Amino acid sequence: MDQRAILDHQFVVAAYVITWTVQLGYLAWLGLKWRDQKREATRLGRKPR
Amino acid sequence: MKKLGVSLYAASTVALLLWAFYQAVYVAPLDAMQGEVSRIFYYHVPHAMLCFLFFAVSLLGSIGYLSFRRSHTDWAQISDAWALTGAEVGVVYCTIVLLTGPLWGRRAWGIWWTWDARLTTTLVLWLIYVSYLLLRRFAAGPQVQTLAAVLGIFGALDVPIVYMSNRWWRTQHPAPVFGGGPDSGIKDPAMLAAFGWNVLAWLAWGVLITALRYLVERQNQKNLRREEQAALNA
Repeated sequence: MDQRAILDHQFVVAAYVITWTVQLGYLAWLGLKWRDQKREATRLGRKPR
Repeated sequence: MKKLGVSLYAASTVALLLWAFYQAVYVAPLDAMQGEVSRIFYYHVPHAMLCFLFFAVSLLGSIGYLSFRRSHTDWAQISDAWALTGAEVGVVYCTIVLLTGPLWGRRAWGIWWTWDARLTTTLVLWLIYVSYLLLRRFAAGPQVQTLAAVLGIFGALDVPIVYMSNRWWRTQHPAPVFGGGPDSGIKDPAMLAAFGWNVLAWLAWGVLITALRYLVERQNQKNLRREEQAALNA
């Protein structure tokens, strides 16, 4: 493998890793937000009116 | 039954993403001119196409909110949840476009960035929707949803400009892959298949996270309403 091909490969890996990191990071953030909203709903449900 | 359906859809989406990855990395032949760096195309272009779709969802939600805010409060809230969801998922997809594009550009052109029409209008689109999300996050008061809806509609006006930018102006960005004249389109069937699988897979993923984001926002709206009710009753 020549130097150019190695660099090309590294750039492709970087692009794919960035894509998966952003998408999975967003999914994880959504999961945390969902958990917080559910906890808040439970707290509000318990509150005496 | 609903849980089973969601689990099946999520499992199918993951399988589709893995299959699309396999197609892009192991099956699609290398581009004769660009070599391996052309494989970035299988992630970059589907994300660019799909971010337009999510911004369109945001546009429809914003129009819906402005239409129903006085007559049907519940519909307006549903529309507003769709507007926020579309904008946020669109920003996620557009962020990936703006990160993977320069990686390809560095190898293909020798530069990370240039202020050509396609790149600049895409950056402006991203900035408009990031400002939309910042407005939603930090502003308070009864007018926030209305202001956000107006910004969402104006932001969407940039989408056709981004789409047409490399047709209207001579740009450094490559010519349109589809609908750009007689020479456009992917000629190799294996490349076309890999591209198609990736569009489908990232669309399925986008639908999944859009549904999840919408549910989170609806729950947030319900919690806020209950909190307001509790404060009124206190």
